[in-house]
Amino acid sequence: MSERLVVSFTPAEGAVIRMLGLVERRGYSLLGLAMEERANGASITIDLQPRDASRRVEVVARQLDRLIDVNSVSVVTPKQGSPS
Amino acid sequence: MTSSAAQRVPAPETEAVSGARLVVQALEREGVTHVFGYPGGAIMPVYDALTGSSLQHILVRHEQAAALAADAYGRVTGRPGVCIATSGPGATNLVTGIANAFLDSVPMVAITGQVASPLMGTDAFQEVDIFGITLPIVKHSFLIRRTADIPRVFAEAFRIACSGRPGPVLIDLPKDVGVLSALPEPFELPEESPEHLDEAAIEAANTLIADASAPVLYFGGGVAIARAERALREFAERSGIPAVATLKGLGSIPTDAPHFLGMLGMHGTRAANIAIDNCDLLICVGARFDDRATGKLDSFAPNAKVVHIDADPAEIGKLRAADVGVVGDMTAILERLTAQPDVAGWAKQCQAQKKLWAARYDAPGAGIYAPALLKQLSEAAGDKAIFTCDVGQHQMWVAQHCRFSRPQAHLTSGGLGTMGYGIPAGVGAVLAEPGATVITVSGDGSFMMNVQELATIRRYRLPLKIVLIDNSQLGMVRQWQELFFEENFSEIDLSDNPDFAEVAHSFGIEAFTIDHRSQVGGAIKRLLGTDGPILCHVRIDPRENVWPLVPPNSSNVQMLEKGW
Repeated sequence: MSERLVVSFTPAEGAVIRMLGLVERRGYSLLGLAMEERANGASITIDLQPRDASRRVEVVARQLDRLIDVNSVSVVTPKQGSPS
Repeated sequence: MTSSAAQRVPAPETEAVSGARLVVQALEREGVTHVFGYPGGAIMPVYDALTGSSLQHILVRHEQAAALAADAYGRVTGRPGVCIATSGPGATNLVTGIANAFLDSVPMVAITGQVASPLMGTDAFQEVDIFGITLPIVKHSFLIRRTADIPRVFAEAFRIACSGRPGPVLIDLPKDVGVLSALPEPFELPEESPEHLDEAAIEAANTLIADASAPVLYFGGGVAIARAERALREFAERSGIPAVATLKGLGSIPTDAPHFLGMLGMHGTRAANIAIDNCDLLICVGARFDDRATGKLDSFAPNAKVVHIDADPAEIGKLRAADVGVVGDMTAILERLTAQPDVAGWAKQCQAQKKLWAARYDAPGAGIYAPALLKQLSEAAGDKAIFTCDVGQHQMWVAQHCRFSRPQAHLTSGGLGTMGYGIPAGVGAVLAEPGATVITVSGDGSFMMNVQELATIRRYRLPLKIVLIDNSQLGMVRQWQELFFEENFSEIDLSDNPDFAEVAHSFGIEAFTIDHRSQVGGAIKRLLGTDGPILCHVRIDPRENVWPLVPPNSSNVQMLEKGW
């Protein structure tokens, strides 16, 4: 089952790669991405799928949240299709 | 994380300063006294600026040792250890040490030179993307693009390395950024937000503790990181709850405390593992349900509710669901756990198991029994000693048989399991706490991985005591091949080792060899009575194994025991 995370972050060198690398290393496949600039930062929507049943999206959300460039992480109900 | 106002604003410069000089000023401003490193092309501007500074640079003989020494320095002082290397191979040689610090949550700032900005991305000489390479093994990293940013980046790096759950921070410095001069831009670090404890969670934890009839306190390295040993000991004493430690938790409660049952897990005590198996409440403090501690996770504390206390919210529920998770300052949380469970009967049962399964030292034969030697050495060295270990059988023997009354006295590579850690860690520990007797316990496999650091010990006349336990094999691998690979011994023979005492002599270090039990007492006396560095080479029976042992994919109570 796919999950969706919305991550608000401060743009900085390596910030996006750091987030995506973490998601893959922690046992998820990346299914889709969408990124947008905002007034005081940026946001990335990540659709992901766990590689095994032991992975819980709340855990990877907290692991993302402790990255220095990340301001907040939300787990949202997946919608159909690619992130917009 | 404590509240602190905006800080570390550098004094305004009236004229432009070179980037390299700004680096040195930033380190001095952070209170750094020692840096471990090795010069090379891209980092030369920084080495040029080091001369005349207040920093003592320790020239190691391999960059990996710089990072590992900085790791140990960080563990002992609680302040970031600093290591420096040049670009390319210098930077990649730091990687193991950075990963070591990351896995064990050690504060570190690693500074790497980088090729000049116009050359970056051109496959220039000694160019490597160390920023990218280390992304998975740092808490954070910076690539400095502008000289004027240097003071701010360093201030941020030191704060990040220490705050919350500590870890390594990498700063990659292109050569031109270090050469060019600039007026540093004023900056303010944002005020850190005050921490609010979850009162409801603390109340729920107290309720679970009060209702428990067979609780166990399971603590790990997070206690030492948070410097919460006093609060942990007070909680254990007032509650009367039996306690077990992870490898990295050892010393947070003195190992000879009556309610302490020993290390749990793969090479833990049977008393600790039995207590975990039978408990109805697990109070996990600063530990992370690591596989070496839990064995087969499904059968770990199978009937227990869990209270999980940690500084890092990402650890709560990562591997074992918590009935109550409490995140924040460990001292403050532990001080609020005031429930008084009725555990006298349970504690007595645990004590009986501890007595029943106590380690034995009456090994047959006249050869040296390493656990007995280490026990005797530890008792002779006293509570102020610091032990650093390498990785393998001797590492487990140190954990099992040495006594520790503080966690900083036991420096071991817990998460990464880095062979070669012991000697560089000894270097870092001697410099971090010059008043301590620092003892490195190594094995013949691990010793050869950073043997070149004997030159560092000699150069700075560091009074490190090295005990090299030599079974002429990769002992832990051999043990597993014997037990779990049908004695198919593959590539574990080290019988062509050099004469280790002669190796030490050639570096100008006093050394001697023992191979008989009757020599142990005299050897320990000589080791501890020598002012300078000394190496005691100890030959042991290559067939000796580490016991007890939980086989892979087994429950912790399925321990294999020693035969005699």
